[in-house]
Amino acid sequence: MHDLIIIGGGPGGYLAAERAGHAGLDVVLFEKNKLGGVCLNEGCIPSKTLLNSAKVFEHAAHGEVFGVTSENAQIDQKKVIARKNKVVRILVAGVKAAMKKHNVTVIADRAVITGKVAGGYKVEAEGKTYETKAIIIATGSDALVPPIPGAREGLEAGYVLTNREILDLDVIPETMTIVGGGVIGLEMASYFQTVGTKVTVVEMLDHIAGATDREISNLLLKNYEKKGITFHLGCKVTGIEKGRVLYEQDGEQKSVEAEYTLLSIGRRANTNLIGLESIGVYTERGAIVTDEQGLTNVPNVYAVGDVNGRCMLAHAAYREAEVAVSTILGKKDMMRYNAVPSVIYTNPEVASVGFSEEELIEKGMAYKKQVTPMSYSGRYQAETDKGDGICKLLVDPETNRLLGVHLLGSYASEIILAAGTFIETEMTVDDIREVVFAHPTVSEVLREAVFQLE
Amino acid sequence: MAEVILMPRQGQSVESCIIGEWHKKKGDKVQVGDKLFTYETDKATFDEEASVEGTLIAVFFAEGDDVPVLTNVCVIGSEDEDWQSYIPAGATVDGAGQTAEPEAEAEKTPEKTEETKTEPVRSERAVAAQTDTADGAISPRARRAALDAGVDLRGAGGSGPNGRIIERDVQQLRKEGRVYTSAAGNAYDTRVSGTGIGGRVRVSDTTKPVAAADEPEYTDTKLPQIRKLIAKAMHESISGMAQLTLNSSFDATDLLRLREQMKQAIDGGFAEKLGLDLPAKAPTVNDLVLFAVSRVATRHEDANAHFLEDTIRRFRHVQLGVAVDTPRGLMVPVVRNADLLSLQEIAAEVRRLAADAQSGTINPDEIRGGTITVTNLGGFGVESFTPVINPPETCIIGVNAIKTAVRVEDGNVVGYPEMTLSLTMDHRAWDGAPAARFLADLCLALENISLVLMSGSYIGGF
Ligand SMILES: Cc1cc2nc3c(=O)[nH]c(=O)nc-3n(C[C@H](O)[C@H](O)[C@H](O)COP(=O)(O)OP(=O)(O)OC[C@H]3O[C@@H](n4cnc5c(N)ncnc54)[C@H](O)[C@@H]3O)c2cc1C
Repeated sequence: MHDLIIIGGGPGGYLAAERAGHAGLDVVLFEKNKLGGVCLNEGCIPSKTLLNSAKVFEHAAHGEVFGVTSENAQIDQKKVIARKNKVVRILVAGVKAAMKKHNVTVIADRAVITGKVAGGYKVEAEGKTYETKAIIIATGSDALVPPIPGAREGLEAGYVLTNREILDLDVIPETMTIVGGGVIGLEMASYFQTVGTKVTVVEMLDHIAGATDREISNLLLKNYEKKGITFHLGCKVTGIEKGRVLYEQDGEQKSVEAEYTLLSIGRRANTNLIGLESIGVYTERGAIVTDEQGLTNVPNVYAVGDVNGRCMLAHAAYREAEVAVSTILGKKDMMRYNAVPSVIYTNPEVASVGFSEEELIEKGMAYKKQVTPMSYSGRYQAETDKGDGICKLLVDPETNRLLGVHLLGSYASEIILAAGTFIETEMTVDDIREVVFAHPTVSEVLREAVFQLE
Repeated sequence: MAEVILMPRQGQSVESCIIGEWHKKKGDKVQVGDKLFTYETDKATFDEEASVEGTLIAVFFAEGDDVPVLTNVCVIGSEDEDWQSYIPAGATVDGAGQTAEPEAEAEKTPEKTEETKTEPVRSERAVAAQTDTADGAISPRARRAALDAGVDLRGAGGSGPNGRIIERDVQQLRKEGRVYTSAAGNAYDTRVSGTGIGGRVRVSDTTKPVAAADEPEYTDTKLPQIRKLIAKAMHESISGMAQLTLNSSFDATDLLRLREQMKQAIDGGFAEKLGLDLPAKAPTVNDLVLFAVSRVATRHEDANAHFLEDTIRRFRHVQLGVAVDTPRGLMVPVVRNADLLSLQEIAAEVRRLAADAQSGTINPDEIRGGTITVTNLGGFGVESFTPVINPPETCIIGVNAIKTAVRVEDGNVVGYPEMTLSLTMDHRAWDGAPAARFLADLCLALENISLVLMSGSYIGGF
């Protein structure tokens, strides 16, 4: 009987395997597709590789303000995709090596839980039965395909895409419509608009970027509109045809041209066909229910990553995996979601951690607010032309700790770690004022904001 | 001359007592009459007082130890006197020999080898914190280690028994630093366990109710001796006998009226005026029941008896057990020869015994030797129950609440006060019919309690 079986080799699964193998457990990991999961193969990494190409192209094409002119800057989508594939290959090989190093047995097949045995559970794959004392379910999520007329046909025909297909698209289309203005949709909109596609985003809500602090998302919207992306907010897509997307705005039928259509309305946890019913694992709204240790309602069965639907981000999956492994090893550990950062890697970048202002209002929590323009940072001035980046702090007036930090501007994705640390460790504003920031960096805006607070 | 203090013998039947609490510790000066320690028999608690003056130079047993009677417990003398020669077998403290306790072992390792005379620098906060923390919650060694290290003890989680802070916790605190975040500050209940990074206490931990969030779902408490004995006796009673319960009710009009009359006579002062010999306090309903039982039981030989497997021992007089609810648990003091006592005497005796049982100072011999027992749950509104016999007695009488019942009189429905008695009998000793007759007689006596009190056939009256 194995100590631990992990189902799924994405960030949640492979990190759990790495940690558990390192601790000396006998671990078997099942991956039906590719090690690295969505994140490495068709999510975080491919999208960031593409966005970096867009950034380089943007600098090349619009370098005049910085005194750099390069005639005829071109983007070669085939090369962009080839480079992306190379990056993915290297990283997937890295995961493979890590599995080997930590004595994790990797089985390349779909695994299904088939029931309980004395002292544990059994799992089937490759026609064989494996017995284990504990299971970590890390089967991740898939793109949600809405029942919009024409969506399935379009997917089959190839003009409707999910994240999987779009990250392999080796042409730059004339027009693209993106259904869903969340993080994934916005990143793809930003990429394709930058490289020359005319992009339209149709979003059902009256704002973009989901739960992002509204002050930030409104500013982001303005930035995108300046780039030329068209937004139809508060609109419902009613049909997808070859060449166009139909939508309803204020009860009126409208349509927008679309050579390609990206479906990015959300993701659905992979809870089907993995045998949850054989041992009675409880799910709610399609996701596995877990506690702060990642434990499901069934003893010694854990669920980490997207499949538990708590926070669909790779770094949340990492930490959940560690907490689950700690718990299996009998170490006290718990998952805290209050300081999990989230990032939108477009240009400009957006990074947030903690509560948004809307959440604080909804919860009835008292807060002080400080919004400081990024232009206070010398480096931001030096590197950005007419930037309107901001740093927004939300502070608990009683304990003087940070409740939320929201950044829009360059390097936000890297700066957010500091803010997350401040929140996680509950440093007070006075503590933070004593921290030395490197100069000149954009991160100094955080320090500036902390001093501007009353 | 050193004076050895023995574990006293409380009553002939007591073989050992448990030390409850030490009021003096080794090295303390004691005066005659000072409380040395508290000790418990199976049913009661006593204080041992010093009969000589001097210094407590040796203490052989710790709190919670079960010490055989007449064993040396401690020695009072002068500091340089020898106490080694008094070490009793089984000593757990001084003279405990090589059997060092694991906790003492663990605390020994980090002991400093050299004694320095310089006062360690102490942070004001550490000192303040220590005065803040309840004394019992910190081991003396941990306290000293904290002072030496200048750490705030409130940051230390207690990993000792009952959350006691021991030296190990202080060492961990020194190693890991403070265990609360800046924002949480240090004004939190020490019982809170941190959910923040590295187990730090964070703001949300300080605001959630301790009980709900941090206390375990259950607590395990070692049973006091008396509970263990009750458990054993009850289990033996139920498993070893053939018990069954009969319930019968009677009209309590006379009982209540009589009691009311007595109360008025006493309170209204005319008892004095007529020269009636009434007690200062009117007897309770329970006293009246006890009185009736003491009289009726003598006429039912199997009710006032012990069942001794191959013999039945029938008693001439009634040793009347009265179940008393005390802070330590159920106790059953015995009214001696209750059948020879007047109502007033029974009432007075029950009051005395109950008070001693409540305070835990009852002589163990006073809770032995009953021949029949009365237990009363009427005060809680109980209407019927199955009392458990005190072996080797053959029955127990349960007294229930008085409630209003109705009956038809001349075609009219009329209400009257009714009381139910629940008689549990040991069917091994006697049969249902004689037991039912006993119960019927009891009800009859209580229904006509004024007559019983007047009647010459029953000794007593007021
Ligand atoms: C376009 C895009 C961009 C993203 N960008 C970011 C980002 O920048 N930052 C970020 O933090 N997150 C990002 N995410 C989200 C991130 O990818 C996920 O949160 C992360 O991959 C979740 O990891 P996981 O281990 O839970 O699941 P997954 O990565 O989904 O991995 C699950 C794995 O389990 C396998 N599997 C499923 N069922 C079985 C079975 N029965 N047997 C065997 N194997 C099975 C699957 O094949 C898959 O490989 C992005 C997602 C997308 C789609």
